[in-house]
Amino acid sequence: MPVIKCKDLTKHYSRKRALDGFSCMIEENKMTGIIGRNGAGKTTLLKILAGFFQENSGDVNVFGENPFNSLNVSANSIMIDQDMTLPTILKLGEIIEEANRFYPNFDRELAFRLLSYFSLDEKTYVTELSKGMRSTFHSIIGLSARCALTIFDEPTLGMDAGVRKDFYRALLKEFIAYPRTVLFSSHHLEEIEDLLEDVLIVHKGRNHLHLSLDEMKTYAIAVQGSKSMMSEWVGEKEVLFTKEIGGSTYTVVKNNLSADEREVLRMLDLTVSAVSATDLFVYLTNESKGGIDDVFRRDDKG
Amino acid sequence: MILNSEDSRPIYIQIAVWLETEILSGHFQSNEKVYSQYQVAEMFTINPATAAKGLTLLVEDEILYKRRGLGMFVTNNAKERILRKRKEQTLKKLVVDLVAEAERLGVSEDELMTMIQTVRGGRGE
Repeated sequence: MPVIKCKDLTKHYSRKRALDGFSCMIEENKMTGIIGRNGAGKTTLLKILAGFFQENSGDVNVFGENPFNSLNVSANSIMIDQDMTLPTILKLGEIIEEANRFYPNFDRELAFRLLSYFSLDEKTYVTELSKGMRSTFHSIIGLSARCALTIFDEPTLGMDAGVRKDFYRALLKEFIAYPRTVLFSSHHLEEIEDLLEDVLIVHKGRNHLHLSLDEMKTYAIAVQGSKSMMSEWVGEKEVLFTKEIGGSTYTVVKNNLSADEREVLRMLDLTVSAVSATDLFVYLTNESKGGIDDVFRRDDKG
Repeated sequence: MILNSEDSRPIYIQIAVWLETEILSGHFQSNEKVYSQYQVAEMFTINPATAAKGLTLLVEDEILYKRRGLGMFVTNNAKERILRKRKEQTLKKLVVDLVAEAERLGVSEDELMTMIQTVRGGRGE
């Protein structure tokens, strides 16, 4: 059963269109990675789903209702991000007590155990925390709240590598013990890809691609070989990315080759390699097929 | 074991191969219960759905069988199946690559055979 349904969602700020006809469906108790380049519309989408922002047009549906002004969505969802507003006059321990009063499934004991594991003093105030410690505290609340819809928007900003690793493991253990729908946006796809079941690529305010991580890992292949051989082989194929390395060309194409085509590759002595999820994401969302190198290729344009 | 992030194969395949190796090494006997998808997910810090996909793959290959409500178990001739599969698929592919590389380098068949024998002989000592 889908927990989230969006159809032709748009949201614009004074001049910019943050969401531009966004549609998607997300199933219950799945962990989905929301990835996109800077300014792609991820945060706007997540804030609409959490009920913080109201859409300009289109339909959005969370647990069967529009999340904006919905007490039901508010009580059953939590959104964790860098600029979560927490009371500055309460100590960390007191904030946990308040969260425990609001969220019906909150695990108070877990929250305090995590607090002490990550060496956060329950008697300090959020204003006294470093950026990474603040992110850690927000994430502790997010995990302990056990909300049916848990949204993490770049939760690991400022966390050191050790804390990030612990947080991923804590999230997985919680997810196994108390399944819930998790949306996780991050710029570190390579760090979280094993945790995810699905990936939703947001690009220019739209749903660019929504697929499972396994599909993403086999979506494209890279073929490398001598320039002349490659240009002949590529022909009319759709190229996702291409780069010249010395006398050879490295080209990424969709992985839909027939057995015959693969045999041709072998005979032409072209090497085939896999394309990681992170690299594929970058290729799919680049403005040009040559990436940053195109900017420096002034001489070609005359 | 830690999953190899350099490995380009999908995680569920890596999980299936790992469990096959566990069975080959005798860690699990015929008709013995193997890990659940949640145990595998915890062990490797991976999504439980991915872990389940790896286990299902082994059910399809008749290396594991399901008992409703009880979990997954090793089939009677799991070891033979794994050995056959590894020979016919993994080893064959390695040999194809080996021969192709030898041709590229102009290594003769005799030379290649000697190299193989040396490695095998060295191991036997």
